[in-house]
Amino acid sequence: MREHIQACKVHSHPGVVFFHFELLSRLASSEPEVKLRALREVKNQIIGNRTKKLSFLKLGAVPAVAGILADSADGVIDKNNCNNNINNILVQSAAALGSFACGFDAGVQAVLDAGAFPNLLRLLANSNEKVVDAGARALRMIYQSKLAPKYDLLQQKNMDFLISVLNSENENVSGLGASIITHSCQTSLEQKALLDAGILEKLVSLLEGGSLSQRDASLESLATIFRNNSEVVSKFVGPEIGRSLSSVIDLAKDRHPRTRLLACMCLIVIRNTSPQLLQNIGIKTKLIHILLELLDDPGQVGDEAPFALSSLIAQKEDLQKLALEANAIDKLQYHLQRGLLHPRRHEGILLALADMCSKLESCRSKFLSLQALNLVADALTNDSADIRTAACTCLKSITRSIKNLSAGYFMNEMIVIPLVQLFLDPSTSVQVAALGALSNIVVDFTTRKSIFVQCGGIRQLVQLARSMEPAVRSNALWALKNFVFLADNRLKEGVFSELTASLLSSLICDPEPSVQEQALALVRNLVDGCMNSVEFVFADDGLILGAVGRQLQRASKPEIGIQGMYALCNVASGNEFHKEAVMHQLFPQMVDKNQSFMIKFLQSNESQLRTAAVWTIVNLTCPSSPGAYGRLVKLRNAGIISQIKKLENDPCVDVKLRAKTVQGHSEAFGVQPLLEHQTS
Amino acid sequence: MNKLVMNFLVTEGYVEAAEKFRMESGTEHRMAVKKAVQCGNVEDAIEKVNDLNPEILDTNPQLFFHLQQQRLIELIRNGKVEEALEFAQEELAPRGEENQSFLEELERTVALLAFEDVTNCPVGELMDISQRLKTASEVNAAILTSQSHEKDPKLPSLLKMLIWAQNQLDEKASYPRINDLSSATLDDPTV
Repeated sequence: MREHIQACKVHSHPGVVFFHFELLSRLASSEPEVKLRALREVKNQIIGNRTKKLSFLKLGAVPAVAGILADSADGVIDKNNCNNNINNILVQSAAALGSFACGFDAGVQAVLDAGAFPNLLRLLANSNEKVVDAGARALRMIYQSKLAPKYDLLQQKNMDFLISVLNSENENVSGLGASIITHSCQTSLEQKALLDAGILEKLVSLLEGGSLSQRDASLESLATIFRNNSEVVSKFVGPEIGRSLSSVIDLAKDRHPRTRLLACMCLIVIRNTSPQLLQNIGIKTKLIHILLELLDDPGQVGDEAPFALSSLIAQKEDLQKLALEANAIDKLQYHLQRGLLHPRRHEGILLALADMCSKLESCRSKFLSLQALNLVADALTNDSADIRTAACTCLKSITRSIKNLSAGYFMNEMIVIPLVQLFLDPSTSVQVAALGALSNIVVDFTTRKSIFVQCGGIRQLVQLARSMEPAVRSNALWALKNFVFLADNRLKEGVFSELTASLLSSLICDPEPSVQEQALALVRNLVDGCMNSVEFVFADDGLILGAVGRQLQRASKPEIGIQGMYALCNVASGNEFHKEAVMHQLFPQMVDKNQSFMIKFLQSNESQLRTAAVWTIVNLTCPSSPGAYGRLVKLRNAGIISQIKKLENDPCVDVKLRAKTVQGHSEAFGVQPLLEHQTS
Repeated sequence: MNKLVMNFLVTEGYVEAAEKFRMESGTEHRMAVKKAVQCGNVEDAIEKVNDLNPEILDTNPQLFFHLQQQRLIELIRNGKVEEALEFAQEELAPRGEENQSFLEELERTVALLAFEDVTNCPVGELMDISQRLKTASEVNAAILTSQSHEKDPKLPSLLKMLIWAQNQLDEKASYPRINDLSSATLDDPTV
């Protein structure tokens, strides 16, 4: 049966297309009665029916209807035509245009392109209530799309219009005002302008005394005005507007699911904007319970609920813990395994699970105990790019579990093969997310990396390291870095021969700082371990080592310095030749000591950077190596030893201990640090 | 009080009584929609809903699907097999593509065509009058919600609450009691 219906669906019946065509020709009729009937018929055909919206759109119905609206609004239609007919035509054409724009971006674009927007606005001033309703509804549909024109809230005349709209007795018109705010208010300047214009009070009155749709629209607008603006939030919870916060809290228990959802979202925005508010545990638990219950709603509300839950718990351990206690993971998993999910809901549930499992091991254990991993693995091959991305994000959180990583739990065909396939995904965000998940999985403490190598993972990662997208390059290097972490030399050689010295050195000098950082971190892990590993940076006449040195000279961020310095530190743990090569990078010719990055790093505020720098000196001056004395003298002459002496009381224990080690080395050779005035 | 009575009349659909209050204009339309579905004139009902408020069916895919499904059921009831098949393919199959659970319901409905005696087949309950009533009440509820009315009238639950509260009080205190609900006068307690 399924095959049959789907097969028949692909093309419309020729008779149907002809019927649509004939209907459009009736729209052009000079007879007002015929025209009106045709308009109404178009409207009834497309309402609720996306396929027909598209099909009429392709036949050019939108400009035709927009033309009728324009003519009728101008009154160019036959003078004998009675008023009633004109009003009916206005109502039907506005309703048809509104339906084209409802939940259908191509329709919104067509309506805007046909120039219908200003004519719909004019309908708001009509004396007939039904015409006003139809116009306001159509405009609200348009404003629910991202494509709607942004309304400039900073212009006084626009603000005046907005206030008049919000003050309207007609609930469609005042609802339109709220939709305009929700769509157009983006900057803190605009939020402030709305606050100053007294819009907050207006919205609060709609919240408390308005109809269902006015309340919902008001909650949405309020959330928009509050977002990341603690000044507006403090005004809202302050004494002047008084008990409005408790009105929102009450609405979170409203009988209408959509109102509950919007009230929760508004409270979440308030909390995320002003973390000192809504801290009481009762409210937090209540929000979690309401959102989990809203997951059961079969419609749009249930689709959006997991996203709201996500924004509530993201980055907040306390809330994740409360949600775990409220059985959030069981509930999310239950919906996930039921299947037949709307794509939006599917994405939301995966993202909510990702946030749940992002910090707490207890959450990850719970998730894994429910056998939910295969559901996430299935979603890796979903048709929707958003779902694939969400599945990767979820995997990334779950694979943070060191316990399960150590057990090699994630390095299996079910997960690794689809993930590697996503490296070639047409969507960049999927690629980036897949690399993120894989980066965790390849930190494997067992020796099961073979699955990844066998399915061509290394070659693909190296390909992605050449991507045009900086985020893809950086994440591919991240994955490679984790892959070679504590790996044996054979695996490292495999990676290096694929990567080549020239590609790696050019990535070290990438224009993007995050790529530089990951490339240097990859070098650091490559040369970590046995003496043979150190040789990688000397391939092709030391191409990589030279690149590391150059990048350290101009390091734009401490993170780059840290990774580069650790790379040098690992090289300096090698033999005499290796140590001298590092010295050469520290003191390239033509650079006097004041410009030495070593001094700069030793004085850095970043304790990690100081640690890496001092460790490098420890390795260079280790008394058991024959050239240590010569290097110590050179370092002292450059003022580095006296700089390290100053670190003997460093607040960071690592730095303090290593600084003492260096001191011990110089005392063993009788090398005294130069005094301050002698070095200047 | 007037509002409360109006709320009761409107919600329960006492058209004539409500008209005497001359307040609510949506009621008549809503009753007409409900009636149309109950009589099997689904297309007519859809047009009426769209005249009332085009947003209702545009933003409520489940309701729209159920109305279309009811239309299909009526076609099958009237023995219009070919028309029913074409309607299922043109109108309903695309909705099934958008939503898996619709597809399953659609499959169940189309299965009616496979049986000689539809009323006694495994999916026969779709042909039942109760299916019409179910759809009709779903439309009714959606229109009420769009008009910001409650789905259930408030008056009966308020009266129940009053009686419950008085019963509770009776055990604990003497107080001015409402004995006659229709006049709602407070009777002094008998000492």
